[in-house]
Amino acid sequence: MNAASEGKVYPAVEVEVDARRLKDFRAVFDQAEGVPPTFVTTIEYLAFAQVVDDEELGLDFARVVHGAQEFVHRRPVREGETVTATIRIDSIRAIGDNGFIVVVTDIVDEEGNLVCVAKSTMVERGSV
Amino acid sequence: MSVRSFAEVTVGEELPQLRRVVEREDVKDYADAGRDQNPLHQDDDFARRVGFDGIIAHGMFTMGHMAACVSEWAGDPEAVVKIGGQFRAPVAVGEEIVTGGTVRRVDPEARTATLETWVSVTRADGTVDMPLKRGEAVVRLG
Repeated sequence: MNAASEGKVYPAVEVEVDARRLKDFRAVFDQAEGVPPTFVTTIEYLAFAQVVDDEELGLDFARVVHGAQEFVHRRPVREGETVTATIRIDSIRAIGDNGFIVVVTDIVDEEGNLVCVAKSTMVERGSV
Repeated sequence: MSVRSFAEVTVGEELPQLRRVVEREDVKDYADAGRDQNPLHQDDDFARRVGFDGIIAHGMFTMGHMAACVSEWAGDPEAVVKIGGQFRAPVAVGEEIVTGGTVRRVDPEARTATLETWVSVTRADGTVDMPLKRGEAVVRLG
């Protein structure tokens, strides 16, 4: 990974909160109602795809495992609303053979209010 | 849905544990619902090439299971205002994961409870690993 990409902010991605996807996500975890607290991962993932595809960063996704995850919710997302997800590279560091990248995604609603902050640590394993 | 009342919660209280055997279809269903189609979670040959014995569950499957445990305790998934943790060990298809937690702090002004949460797995040889460590959740109580 290119450490110079630290601080990079990617273009905002618009995502509609799809009722069907929410229902399918709930079903995986046998949840009857509401928005599961980790559902925002499905929105974050679309923003994260830009990080995976970023040649300047050079993340080798075949060697990547998920290291850590956190969601802080101001409110749950609502079915049918469109939110924007803006991802940035918070830090890149090497520990031993492994590269650690921390990305932070702000999920913002149509009025510009913050809905959720998602923070992911991905580990690019040095020896597989 | 009815959110657990602040008055009902005590520090040191344990959440009811939630167990689940991870089936191959569960991992596929999570890939579809969660949008994460990484072959590490669907293609055994790929998983072996990158150092695993076969496909592993998504970290977010493990965390989603933990979130279900917290949501059930909270009485409403939308009362869980913060959740997170570190992924420390893979979970293979056919393994049973167990999740639970403990109330560590309560905040009477914010009416929140902070939980320490975890996910464990017992391997075929009897070894217990922690696929998810340093789990934390904050629940806004009624």
